[in-house]
Amino acid sequence: MSLFAFLGTLEIGLVYGLVALGVYLTFRVLDFPDLTVDGSFPMGGAVAATAIVAGVNPWLATGLAVLAGAACGLVTAFLAVRCGILHLLASILTMIAAFSINIRIMGRPNMALLGEPTIFTPFDNLGWDQLYVHLGLVFLLVLFSALFVVRLLSSDFGLALRATGVNERMVAAQGGSIGFYTYFGLALSNGFVGFSGALFAQSNSFADVTSGVGTIVVGLAAVILGQTLIPGRRIWVAVTAVIVGSILYRLAVAFALSTGMFGMQASDLNLITAVLVAIALIAPKMKGKVRLKAVTR
Amino acid sequence: MIHLEDIRITFNANTILENKALRGVSLTVPERQFVTIIGSNGAGKSTLLGAVSGETPISGGRVEIDGVEVTKWPVHKRARYAARVFQNPLAGTCATLTIEENMALAHGRGKRRGWRLALSSRRRRLFQERISILGLGLEDRLGDSIGLLSGGQRQAVSLVMATLSDSHLLLLDEHTAALDPRMAAFILDLTNTVVEEFGLTVMMVTHSMKDALASGDRTVMLHQGKIVFDVSGEERERLDVPHLLQMFSKVRGEELADDSLLLG
Repeated sequence: MSLFAFLGTLEIGLVYGLVALGVYLTFRVLDFPDLTVDGSFPMGGAVAATAIVAGVNPWLATGLAVLAGAACGLVTAFLAVRCGILHLLASILTMIAAFSINIRIMGRPNMALLGEPTIFTPFDNLGWDQLYVHLGLVFLLVLFSALFVVRLLSSDFGLALRATGVNERMVAAQGGSIGFYTYFGLALSNGFVGFSGALFAQSNSFADVTSGVGTIVVGLAAVILGQTLIPGRRIWVAVTAVIVGSILYRLAVAFALSTGMFGMQASDLNLITAVLVAIALIAPKMKGKVRLKAVTR
Repeated sequence: MIHLEDIRITFNANTILENKALRGVSLTVPERQFVTIIGSNGAGKSTLLGAVSGETPISGGRVEIDGVEVTKWPVHKRARYAARVFQNPLAGTCATLTIEENMALAHGRGKRRGWRLALSSRRRRLFQERISILGLGLEDRLGDSIGLLSGGQRQAVSLVMATLSDSHLLLLDEHTAALDPRMAAFILDLTNTVVEEFGLTVMMVTHSMKDALASGDRTVMLHQGKIVFDVSGEERERLDVPHLLQMFSKVRGEELADDSLLLG
Protein backbone atom coordinates (compact mmCIF):
# COMPACT_ATOMS: atom_id res chain seq x y z
CA MET A 1 0.00 0.00 0.00
CA SER A 2 1.40 3.40 -0.96
CA LEU A 3 1.83 6.15 1.63
CA PHE A 4 -0.82 8.13 -0.22
CA ALA A 5 -3.32 5.28 0.03
CA PHE A 6 -2.35 4.65 3.66
CA LEU A 7 -2.95 8.25 4.74
CA GLY A 8 -6.22 8.32 2.82
CA THR A 9 -7.33 5.15 4.59
CA LEU A 10 -6.39 6.65 7.97
CA GLU A 11 -8.48 9.71 7.19
CA ILE A 12 -11.53 7.66 6.17
CA GLY A 13 -11.04 5.52 9.26
CA LEU A 14 -11.07 8.62 11.45
CA VAL A 15 -14.12 10.07 9.69
CA TYR A 16 -15.96 6.80 10.31
CA GLY A 17 -14.62 6.91 13.86
CA LEU A 18 -17.41 9.44 14.48
CA VAL A 19 -19.92 6.87 13.21
CA ALA A 20 -18.32 4.35 15.57
CA LEU A 21 -18.73 6.86 18.41
CA GLY A 22 -22.41 7.23 17.55
CA VAL A 23 -22.97 3.48 17.27
CA TYR A 24 -21.14 2.98 20.58
CA LEU A 25 -23.58 5.41 22.24
CA THR A 26 -26.68 3.62 20.98
CA PHE A 27 -25.56 0.02 20.68
CA ARG A 28 -23.42 -0.19 23.82
CA VAL A 29 -24.46 2.64 26.16
CA LEU A 30 -28.21 2.76 25.52
CA ASP A 31 -28.56 -0.86 24.34
CA PHE A 32 -30.71 0.50 21.50
CA PRO A 33 -29.76 -1.10 18.16
CA ASP A 34 -30.21 1.91 15.91
CA LEU A 35 -30.18 1.60 12.11
CA THR A 36 -31.04 5.29 11.69
CA VAL A 37 -27.35 5.88 10.92
CA ASP A 38 -27.85 4.53 7.37
CA GLY A 39 -30.07 7.57 6.85
CA SER A 40 -28.41 10.18 9.04
CA PHE A 41 -24.96 9.65 7.51
CA PRO A 42 -25.98 10.60 3.94
CA MET A 43 -28.24 13.29 5.40
CA GLY A 44 -25.19 14.90 7.02
CA GLY A 45 -23.48 14.87 3.62
CA ALA A 46 -26.56 16.10 1.77
CA VAL A 47 -27.19 19.00 4.14
CA ALA A 48 -23.54 20.07 4.23
CA ALA A 49 -23.17 19.88 0.45
CA THR A 50 -26.41 21.69 -0.31
CA ALA A 51 -25.63 24.44 2.19
CA ILE A 52 -22.08 24.89 0.88
CA VAL A 53 -23.23 25.08 -2.74
CA ALA A 54 -25.82 27.63 -1.62
CA GLY A 55 -22.97 29.76 -0.27
CA VAL A 56 -23.17 28.97 3.43
CA ASN A 57 -19.94 28.98 5.42
CA PRO A 58 -18.58 25.37 5.44
CA TRP A 59 -18.32 25.27 9.26
CA LEU A 60 -21.88 26.47 9.61
CA ALA A 61 -22.93 23.94 6.95
CA THR A 62 -21.25 21.21 8.99
CA GLY A 63 -23.12 22.41 12.08
CA LEU A 64 -26.40 22.18 10.16
CA ALA A 65 -25.46 18.62 9.15
CA VAL A 66 -25.01 17.73 12.83
CA LEU A 67 -28.46 19.17 13.62
CA ALA A 68 -30.03 17.26 10.70
CA GLY A 69 -28.49 14.01 11.95
CA ALA A 70 -29.73 14.72 15.47
CA ALA A 71 -33.23 15.36 14.08
CA CYS A 72 -33.19 11.88 12.49
CA GLY A 73 -32.32 10.44 15.89
CA LEU A 74 -35.19 12.34 17.51
CA VAL A 75 -37.64 10.92 14.96
CA THR A 76 -36.51 7.37 15.76
CA ALA A 77 -36.73 8.09 19.50
CA PHE A 78 -40.22 9.50 19.03
CA LEU A 79 -41.36 6.37 17.17
CA ALA A 80 -39.83 4.09 19.79
CA VAL A 81 -40.62 5.95 23.02
CA ARG A 82 -43.85 7.75 22.27
CA CYS A 83 -45.41 5.35 19.78
CA GLY A 84 -44.00 2.18 21.32
CA ILE A 85 -42.61 0.79 18.07
CA LEU A 86 -39.85 -1.82 18.49
CA HIS A 87 -36.51 0.07 18.41
CA LEU A 88 -35.08 -1.82 15.45
CA LEU A 89 -38.22 -1.25 13.39
CA ALA A 90 -38.51 2.40 14.41
CA SER A 91 -34.98 3.05 13.19
CA ILE A 92 -35.58 1.22 9.91
CA LEU A 93 -38.61 3.47 9.28
CA THR A 94 -36.54 6.60 9.83
CA MET A 95 -33.76 5.23 7.66
CA ILE A 96 -36.11 4.50 4.75
CA ALA A 97 -37.80 7.90 5.07
CA ALA A 98 -34.42 9.66 5.17
CA PHE A 99 -33.53 8.26 1.75
CA SER A 100 -36.38 10.20 0.11
CA ILE A 101 -35.73 13.28 2.22
CA ASN A 102 -32.05 13.31 1.25
CA ILE A 103 -32.96 13.41 -2.44
CA ARG A 104 -35.38 16.26 -1.68
CA ILE A 105 -32.66 18.16 0.19
CA MET A 106 -30.19 17.97 -2.68
CA GLY A 107 -32.82 18.02 -5.41
CA ARG A 108 -31.04 15.07 -7.02
CA PRO A 109 -29.42 11.80 -5.88
CA ASN A 110 -25.87 13.17 -5.75
CA MET A 111 -24.02 16.42 -5.72
CA ALA A 112 -20.42 17.40 -6.51
CA LEU A 113 -18.45 19.76 -4.27
CA LEU A 114 -15.50 20.22 -6.63
CA GLY A 115 -14.21 23.78 -6.50
CA GLU A 116 -16.50 24.66 -3.60
CA PRO A 117 -15.01 25.86 -0.32
CA THR A 118 -14.90 23.26 2.45
CA ILE A 119 -13.70 23.31 6.06
CA PHE A 120 -10.34 22.14 4.66
CA THR A 121 -9.94 25.05 2.18
CA PRO A 122 -8.46 27.64 4.58
CA PHE A 123 -5.67 25.19 5.47
CA ASP A 124 -4.87 24.22 1.89
CA ASN A 125 -2.88 27.36 1.10
CA LEU A 126 -0.55 27.29 4.10
CA GLY A 127 2.14 25.52 2.13
CA TRP A 128 1.88 22.20 3.99
CA ASP A 129 1.18 18.91 2.32
CA GLN A 130 -2.56 18.81 1.78
CA LEU A 131 -2.84 15.15 2.71
CA TYR A 132 -1.33 15.68 6.17
CA VAL A 133 -3.37 18.82 6.73
CA HIS A 134 -6.65 17.04 6.01
CA LEU A 135 -5.67 14.12 8.19
CA GLY A 136 -4.61 16.46 11.01
CA LEU A 137 -7.84 18.47 10.92
CA VAL A 138 -10.01 15.35 10.90
CA PHE A 139 -7.91 13.94 13.75
CA LEU A 140 -8.47 17.07 15.85
CA LEU A 141 -12.23 17.07 15.22
CA VAL A 142 -12.49 13.39 16.16
CA LEU A 143 -10.32 13.98 19.23
CA PHE A 144 -12.57 16.80 20.49
CA SER A 145 -15.66 14.68 19.85
CA ALA A 146 -14.17 11.75 21.75
CA LEU A 147 -13.15 13.98 24.67
CA PHE A 148 -16.68 15.39 24.78
CA VAL A 149 -18.21 11.91 24.93
CA VAL A 150 -15.80 10.75 27.65
CA ARG A 151 -16.50 13.83 29.76
CA LEU A 152 -20.26 13.59 29.19
CA LEU A 153 -20.41 9.93 30.22
CA SER A 154 -18.45 10.74 33.40
CA SER A 155 -20.96 13.37 34.49
CA ASP A 156 -24.07 12.94 36.63
CA PHE A 157 -26.13 13.13 33.47
CA GLY A 158 -23.95 10.63 31.62
CA LEU A 159 -24.08 8.17 34.49
CA ALA A 160 -27.87 8.07 34.23
CA LEU A 161 -27.54 7.71 30.44
CA ARG A 162 -25.26 4.69 30.92
CA ALA A 163 -27.58 3.12 33.50
CA THR A 164 -30.56 3.54 31.14
CA GLY A 165 -29.15 0.89 28.83
CA VAL A 166 -28.70 -1.60 31.67
CA ASN A 167 -31.49 -1.21 34.21
CA GLU A 168 -34.40 1.02 33.22
CA ARG A 169 -36.40 0.23 36.33
CA MET A 170 -33.58 1.37 38.56
CA VAL A 171 -33.04 4.59 36.63
CA ALA A 172 -36.74 5.43 36.97
CA ALA A 173 -36.61 4.62 40.69
CA GLN A 174 -33.67 7.03 40.99
CA GLY A 175 -35.66 9.79 39.33
CA GLY A 176 -34.39 9.53 35.75
CA SER A 177 -36.78 9.68 32.82
CA ILE A 178 -36.03 6.77 30.48
CA GLY A 179 -37.82 8.52 27.62
CA PHE A 180 -35.72 11.66 27.96
CA TYR A 181 -32.42 9.79 28.03
CA THR A 182 -33.45 7.79 24.96
CA TYR A 183 -34.29 10.99 23.05
CA PHE A 184 -31.03 12.59 24.09
CA GLY A 185 -28.87 9.54 23.38
CA LEU A 186 -30.30 9.00 19.91
CA ALA A 187 -30.02 12.68 19.01
CA LEU A 188 -26.40 12.82 20.16
CA SER A 189 -25.48 9.57 18.42
CA ASN A 190 -27.02 10.60 15.10
CA GLY A 191 -25.56 14.08 15.48
CA PHE A 192 -22.11 12.49 15.40
CA VAL A 193 -23.12 10.37 12.42
CA GLY A 194 -24.38 13.49 10.57
CA PHE A 195 -21.07 15.18 11.43
CA SER A 196 -19.24 12.20 9.97
CA GLY A 197 -21.36 12.38 6.80
CA ALA A 198 -20.56 16.07 6.42
CA LEU A 199 -16.80 15.45 6.81
CA PHE A 200 -16.98 12.53 4.37
CA ALA A 201 -18.71 14.66 1.74
CA GLN A 202 -16.22 17.53 2.09
CA SER A 203 -13.21 15.24 2.14
CA ASN A 204 -14.36 13.37 -0.98
CA SER A 205 -15.93 16.38 -2.72
CA PHE A 206 -19.30 14.78 -3.27
CA ALA A 207 -22.48 13.80 -1.47
CA ASP A 208 -24.50 10.78 -2.52
CA VAL A 209 -27.73 9.30 -1.13
CA THR A 210 -26.42 5.78 -1.54
CA SER A 211 -23.32 6.51 0.58
CA GLY A 212 -25.35 5.54 3.66
CA VAL A 213 -25.88 1.92 2.72
CA GLY A 214 -24.17 -0.28 5.29
CA THR A 215 -23.13 2.55 7.61
CA ILE A 216 -24.50 0.63 10.60
CA VAL A 217 -22.43 -2.43 9.68
CA VAL A 218 -19.27 -0.35 9.38
CA GLY A 219 -20.05 1.27 12.75
CA LEU A 220 -20.75 -2.07 14.38
CA ALA A 221 -17.60 -3.54 12.86
CA ALA A 222 -15.58 -0.69 14.38
CA VAL A 223 -17.19 -1.01 17.81
CA ILE A 224 -16.96 -4.78 17.99
CA LEU A 225 -13.49 -5.05 16.44
CA GLY A 226 -12.15 -2.26 18.66
CA GLN A 227 -13.65 -3.53 21.89
CA THR A 228 -12.52 -7.09 21.18
CA LEU A 229 -8.93 -5.98 20.60
CA ILE A 230 -8.88 -3.32 23.35
CA PRO A 231 -11.13 -4.62 26.12
CA GLY A 232 -11.79 -2.49 29.17
CA ARG A 233 -14.68 -1.15 31.15
CA ARG A 234 -13.36 2.38 31.56
CA ILE A 235 -15.07 4.91 29.33
CA TRP A 236 -11.97 6.46 27.82
CA VAL A 237 -10.67 2.99 26.96
CA ALA A 238 -13.95 2.07 25.27
CA VAL A 239 -14.12 5.34 23.32
CA THR A 240 -10.51 5.00 22.18
CA ALA A 241 -11.18 1.37 21.27
CA VAL A 242 -14.09 2.09 18.95
CA ILE A 243 -12.17 4.80 17.08
CA VAL A 244 -9.11 2.59 16.77
CA GLY A 245 -11.49 -0.17 15.67
CA SER A 246 -12.77 2.06 12.89
CA ILE A 247 -9.25 2.77 11.63
CA LEU A 248 -8.22 -0.90 11.85
CA TYR A 249 -11.35 -1.93 10.00
CA ARG A 250 -10.53 0.47 7.16
CA LEU A 251 -6.92 -0.71 7.05
CA ALA A 252 -7.98 -4.35 6.99
CA VAL A 253 -10.39 -3.71 4.15
CA ALA A 254 -7.89 -1.62 2.19
CA PHE A 255 -5.23 -4.27 2.68
CA ALA A 256 -7.51 -7.10 1.58
CA LEU A 257 -8.57 -5.19 -1.52
CA SER A 258 -5.25 -3.63 -2.54
CA THR A 259 -2.96 -6.64 -2.34
CA GLY A 260 -5.26 -8.65 -4.52
CA MET A 261 -3.68 -11.70 -2.98
CA PHE A 262 -7.00 -13.34 -2.18
CA GLY A 263 -8.30 -12.40 -5.61
CA MET A 264 -10.59 -9.81 -3.99
CA GLN A 265 -12.34 -7.03 -5.84
CA ALA A 266 -14.06 -3.87 -4.59
CA SER A 267 -17.50 -5.45 -4.70
CA ASP A 268 -16.37 -8.06 -2.15
CA LEU A 269 -16.31 -5.31 0.50
CA ASN A 270 -19.63 -6.31 2.08
CA LEU A 271 -18.58 -9.94 2.32
CA ILE A 272 -15.28 -9.00 3.95
CA THR A 273 -17.12 -6.74 6.40
CA ALA A 274 -19.63 -9.42 7.34
CA VAL A 275 -16.87 -11.98 7.88
CA LEU A 276 -14.82 -9.52 9.97
CA VAL A 277 -17.81 -8.64 12.20
CA ALA A 278 -18.77 -12.30 12.57
CA ILE A 279 -15.22 -13.20 13.63
CA ALA A 280 -15.09 -10.31 16.09
CA LEU A 281 -18.44 -11.41 17.56
CA ILE A 282 -17.46 -15.07 17.83
CA ALA A 283 -13.93 -14.54 19.15
CA PRO A 284 -14.85 -13.41 22.71
CA LYS A 285 -17.25 -16.35 23.06
CA MET A 286 -14.57 -18.82 21.95
CA LYS A 287 -12.17 -17.27 24.46
CA GLY A 288 -14.80 -17.70 27.22
CA LYS A 289 -15.43 -21.32 26.26
CA VAL A 290 -11.75 -22.20 26.28
CA ARG A 291 -11.43 -20.60 29.72
CA LEU A 292 -14.51 -22.46 30.98
CA LYS A 293 -13.07 -25.76 29.79
CA ALA A 294 -9.77 -25.06 31.52
CA VAL A 295 -11.61 -24.32 34.76
CA THR A 296 -13.91 -27.35 34.71
CA ARG A 297 -11.02 -29.62 34.00
CA MET B 1 -46.39 11.47 54.97
CA ILE B 2 -48.27 9.17 52.62
CA HIS B 3 -51.99 9.51 52.13
CA LEU B 4 -53.87 6.96 50.04
CA GLU B 5 -57.54 7.50 49.41
CA ASP B 6 -59.83 4.78 48.11
CA ILE B 7 -57.21 3.25 45.82
CA ARG B 8 -58.66 0.88 43.23
CA ILE B 9 -56.53 -1.10 40.83
CA THR B 10 -57.92 -3.51 38.28
CA PHE B 11 -55.65 -5.50 35.99
CA ASN B 12 -56.95 -6.51 32.56
CA ALA B 13 -60.19 -4.61 33.09
CA ASN B 14 -63.17 -5.82 31.06
CA THR B 15 -61.49 -9.00 29.95
CA ILE B 16 -61.88 -12.58 31.04
CA LEU B 17 -58.65 -12.18 33.04
CA GLU B 18 -59.99 -9.21 34.99
CA ASN B 19 -58.36 -9.07 38.39
CA LYS B 20 -59.34 -6.55 41.04
CA ALA B 21 -56.01 -6.27 42.84
CA LEU B 22 -57.06 -3.41 45.11
CA ARG B 23 -60.70 -2.69 45.95
CA GLY B 24 -60.71 0.64 47.69
CA VAL B 25 -57.75 0.91 50.05
CA SER B 26 -57.36 4.01 52.20
CA LEU B 27 -54.26 4.39 54.31
CA THR B 28 -52.50 7.32 55.93
CA VAL B 29 -48.92 6.89 57.06
CA PRO B 30 -47.82 9.85 59.19
CA GLU B 31 -44.29 11.23 59.27
CA ARG B 32 -41.75 8.83 60.80
CA GLN B 33 -44.13 5.91 61.04
CA PHE B 34 -42.89 2.46 60.04
CA VAL B 35 -45.76 0.39 58.65
CA THR B 36 -45.37 -3.28 57.83
CA ILE B 37 -47.77 -4.76 55.32
CA ILE B 38 -48.63 -8.45 55.28
CA GLY B 39 -51.06 -10.67 53.42
CA SER B 40 -51.15 -13.86 51.42
CA ASN B 41 -50.11 -14.18 47.79
CA GLY B 42 -52.21 -11.98 45.56
CA ALA B 43 -53.56 -9.96 48.47
CA GLY B 44 -52.35 -6.76 46.82
CA LYS B 45 -49.35 -5.89 49.01
CA SER B 46 -46.87 -5.13 46.27
CA THR B 47 -49.59 -3.54 44.17
CA LEU B 48 -50.25 -1.12 47.02
CA LEU B 49 -46.58 -0.17 47.09
CA GLY B 50 -46.69 0.19 43.30
CA ALA B 51 -49.55 2.66 43.70
CA VAL B 52 -47.34 4.83 45.91
CA SER B 53 -44.23 4.59 43.71
CA GLY B 54 -46.24 5.06 40.52
CA GLU B 55 -45.15 1.77 38.99
CA THR B 56 -48.71 0.42 38.99
CA PRO B 57 -51.21 2.72 37.28
CA ILE B 58 -54.30 3.11 39.44
CA SER B 59 -57.86 2.89 38.16
CA GLY B 60 -59.35 5.07 40.88
CA GLY B 61 -58.46 7.01 44.01
CA ARG B 62 -55.91 9.57 45.11
CA VAL B 63 -52.26 9.37 46.10
CA GLU B 64 -50.70 12.13 48.17
CA ILE B 65 -47.09 12.30 49.28
CA ASP B 66 -46.01 15.02 51.73
CA GLY B 67 -49.22 16.88 51.03
CA VAL B 68 -48.70 16.95 47.25
CA GLU B 69 -51.11 15.09 45.02
CA VAL B 70 -49.01 12.79 42.82
CA THR B 71 -51.79 10.56 41.45
CA LYS B 72 -50.90 11.37 37.84
CA TRP B 73 -47.12 11.62 38.25
CA PRO B 74 -44.82 9.13 36.49
CA VAL B 75 -42.43 6.94 38.49
CA HIS B 76 -39.35 9.08 37.94
CA LYS B 77 -41.04 12.24 39.17
CA ARG B 78 -42.27 10.58 42.37
CA ALA B 79 -38.76 9.26 42.97
CA ARG B 80 -37.75 12.61 44.48
CA TYR B 81 -39.99 11.83 47.47
CA ALA B 82 -39.38 8.14 47.96
CA ALA B 83 -36.44 5.74 47.88
CA ARG B 84 -37.14 2.13 47.06
CA VAL B 85 -35.54 -1.26 47.63
CA PHE B 86 -36.83 -4.09 45.47
CA GLN B 87 -37.35 -7.78 46.16
CA ASN B 88 -34.89 -8.74 43.43
CA PRO B 89 -31.40 -7.53 44.48
CA LEU B 90 -30.48 -7.24 40.80
CA ALA B 91 -33.27 -4.74 40.15
CA GLY B 92 -32.13 -2.03 42.53
CA THR B 93 -28.59 -1.65 41.28
CA CYS B 94 -26.92 -1.34 37.90
CA ALA B 95 -24.70 -4.39 37.39
CA THR B 96 -22.23 -2.93 34.90
CA LEU B 97 -21.49 0.19 36.94
CA THR B 98 -19.14 0.26 39.91
CA ILE B 99 -20.31 0.50 43.52
CA GLU B 100 -19.44 4.18 43.69
CA GLU B 101 -21.16 4.90 40.37
CA ASN B 102 -24.32 3.24 41.65
CA MET B 103 -24.09 5.36 44.77
CA ALA B 104 -23.56 8.50 42.70
CA LEU B 105 -26.68 7.63 40.74
CA ALA B 106 -28.65 7.34 43.98
CA HIS B 107 -27.05 10.52 45.33
CA GLY B 108 -28.65 12.39 42.43
CA ARG B 109 -32.15 11.05 43.05
CA GLY B 110 -34.65 13.88 42.81
CA LYS B 111 -31.99 16.39 41.78
CA ARG B 112 -31.20 17.80 38.35
CA ARG B 113 -28.50 15.70 36.73
CA GLY B 114 -26.03 17.98 35.06
CA TRP B 115 -22.56 18.27 33.64
CA ARG B 116 -20.75 17.94 36.99
CA LEU B 117 -18.43 14.95 37.37
CA ALA B 118 -20.36 12.09 38.96
CA LEU B 119 -17.40 11.10 41.11
CA SER B 120 -15.53 13.79 43.00
CA SER B 121 -13.19 13.12 45.90
CA ARG B 122 -15.72 14.74 48.23
CA ARG B 123 -18.46 12.39 47.10
CA ARG B 124 -16.14 9.41 47.33
CA ARG B 125 -15.43 10.27 50.97
CA LEU B 126 -19.16 10.50 51.67
CA PHE B 127 -19.80 7.14 49.98
CA GLN B 128 -16.94 5.53 51.86
CA GLU B 129 -18.23 6.80 55.17
CA ARG B 130 -21.80 5.68 54.50
CA ILE B 131 -20.93 2.24 53.18
CA SER B 132 -18.56 1.49 56.06
CA ILE B 133 -21.53 1.13 58.47
CA LEU B 134 -22.29 -2.16 56.69
CA GLY B 135 -19.10 -3.68 58.06
CA LEU B 136 -18.69 -5.69 54.85
CA GLY B 137 -15.38 -4.14 53.87
CA LEU B 138 -16.94 -2.57 50.79
CA GLU B 139 -15.43 0.84 51.56
CA ASP B 140 -12.17 -0.40 50.00
CA ARG B 141 -13.92 -1.81 46.94
CA LEU B 142 -15.85 1.24 45.73
CA GLY B 143 -14.29 0.92 42.27
CA ASP B 144 -15.42 -2.70 41.83
CA SER B 145 -18.32 -3.50 39.55
CA ILE B 146 -21.42 -4.03 41.68
CA GLY B 147 -22.20 -7.11 39.62
CA LEU B 148 -19.38 -8.86 41.52
CA LEU B 149 -21.26 -8.62 44.82
CA SER B 150 -23.65 -11.26 46.16
CA GLY B 151 -27.39 -10.63 46.23
CA GLY B 152 -27.31 -9.85 49.93
CA GLN B 153 -24.42 -7.42 49.57
CA ARG B 154 -26.19 -5.67 46.71
CA GLN B 155 -29.32 -5.39 48.84
CA ALA B 156 -27.25 -3.88 51.65
CA VAL B 157 -25.76 -1.34 49.24
CA SER B 158 -29.28 -0.58 47.94
CA LEU B 159 -30.31 0.33 51.47
CA VAL B 160 -27.34 2.65 51.89
CA MET B 161 -28.15 4.15 48.47
CA ALA B 162 -31.69 4.85 49.67
CA THR B 163 -30.29 7.20 52.31
CA LEU B 164 -28.00 9.22 50.04
CA SER B 165 -30.69 11.63 48.89
CA ASP B 166 -32.69 13.87 51.21
CA SER B 167 -36.12 12.26 50.89
CA HIS B 168 -37.60 10.76 54.05
CA LEU B 169 -39.73 8.04 52.54
CA LEU B 170 -38.63 4.47 52.09
CA LEU B 171 -40.62 1.81 50.21
CA LEU B 172 -39.46 -1.76 50.81
CA ASP B 173 -40.97 -4.46 48.62
CA GLU B 174 -40.19 -7.82 50.27
CA HIS B 175 -36.58 -6.75 50.21
CA THR B 176 -35.37 -9.75 52.25
CA ALA B 177 -37.44 -12.43 50.49
CA ALA B 178 -34.78 -13.44 47.98
CA LEU B 179 -31.98 -13.80 50.54
CA ASP B 180 -30.75 -16.68 52.69
CA PRO B 181 -31.99 -16.52 56.32
CA ARG B 182 -28.72 -15.17 57.76
CA MET B 183 -28.45 -12.42 55.17
CA ALA B 184 -32.17 -11.66 55.49
CA ALA B 185 -31.73 -11.13 59.24
CA PHE B 186 -28.73 -8.89 58.59
CA ILE B 187 -30.63 -6.78 56.06
CA LEU B 188 -33.61 -6.44 58.39
CA ASP B 189 -31.33 -5.30 61.23
CA LEU B 190 -29.69 -2.86 58.89
CA THR B 191 -33.10 -1.58 57.80
CA ASN B 192 -34.06 -0.83 61.39
CA THR B 193 -30.74 0.93 62.02
CA VAL B 194 -31.05 3.07 58.90
CA VAL B 195 -34.68 3.96 59.56
CA GLU B 196 -33.80 4.97 63.12
CA GLU B 197 -30.74 6.99 62.15
CA PHE B 198 -32.33 8.94 59.32
CA GLY B 199 -35.83 9.22 60.83
CA LEU B 200 -37.54 7.69 57.80
CA THR B 201 -41.18 7.07 57.05
CA VAL B 202 -41.43 3.47 55.86
CA MET B 203 -43.83 1.12 54.12
CA MET B 204 -42.46 -2.41 54.24
CA VAL B 205 -44.13 -5.31 52.47
CA THR B 206 -43.18 -8.70 53.85
CA HIS B 207 -44.18 -12.35 53.71
CA SER B 208 -42.93 -13.01 57.22
CA MET B 209 -45.43 -12.39 60.02
CA LYS B 210 -42.54 -12.51 62.49
CA ASP B 211 -40.69 -9.71 60.69
CA ALA B 212 -43.90 -7.75 60.32
CA LEU B 213 -44.39 -7.69 64.07
CA ALA B 214 -40.73 -7.37 65.05
CA SER B 215 -40.06 -4.28 62.94
CA GLY B 216 -41.89 -1.01 62.77
CA ASP B 217 -44.74 0.40 64.80
CA ARG B 218 -47.85 -0.48 62.84
CA THR B 219 -49.00 -3.55 60.92
CA VAL B 220 -51.59 -3.66 58.19
CA MET B 221 -52.99 -6.87 56.73
CA LEU B 222 -54.38 -6.98 53.22
CA HIS B 223 -56.71 -9.65 51.95
CA GLN B 224 -58.21 -9.78 48.49
CA GLY B 225 -57.41 -6.16 47.82
CA LYS B 226 -58.77 -4.75 51.07
CA ILE B 227 -57.32 -3.84 54.44
CA VAL B 228 -58.68 -6.45 56.84
CA PHE B 229 -56.97 -5.20 59.92
CA ASP B 230 -54.70 -2.44 61.06
CA VAL B 231 -52.97 -2.59 64.44
CA SER B 232 -50.56 -0.29 66.22
CA GLY B 233 -49.55 0.76 69.71
CA GLU B 234 -50.32 -1.41 72.71
CA GLU B 235 -52.65 -3.72 70.86
CA ARG B 236 -49.79 -4.53 68.50
CA GLU B 237 -47.33 -5.02 71.35
CA ARG B 238 -49.54 -7.79 72.70
CA LEU B 239 -49.77 -9.56 69.35
CA ASP B 240 -47.57 -12.53 68.52
CA VAL B 241 -47.36 -14.71 65.45
CA PRO B 242 -49.89 -17.36 66.59
CA HIS B 243 -52.36 -14.57 67.34
CA LEU B 244 -51.78 -13.05 63.96
CA LEU B 245 -52.24 -16.42 62.26
CA GLN B 246 -55.46 -16.85 64.17
CA MET B 247 -56.73 -13.48 62.98
CA PHE B 248 -55.65 -14.33 59.50
CA SER B 249 -57.50 -17.65 59.44
CA LYS B 250 -60.54 -15.95 60.95
CA VAL B 251 -60.58 -13.54 58.01
CA ARG B 252 -60.26 -16.37 55.57
CA GLY B 253 -62.68 -18.55 57.51
CA GLU B 254 -65.45 -15.98 57.34
CA GLU B 255 -64.96 -15.80 53.66
CA LEU B 256 -65.16 -19.60 53.44
CA ALA B 257 -68.40 -19.49 55.39
CA ASP B 258 -69.69 -16.96 52.89
CA ASP B 259 -68.74 -19.26 50.08
CA SER B 260 -70.39 -22.27 51.67
CA LEU B 261 -73.54 -20.22 52.11
CA LEU B 262 -73.46 -19.27 48.48
CA LEU B 263 -72.75 -22.79 47.33
CA GLY B 264 -75.17 -24.35 49.78
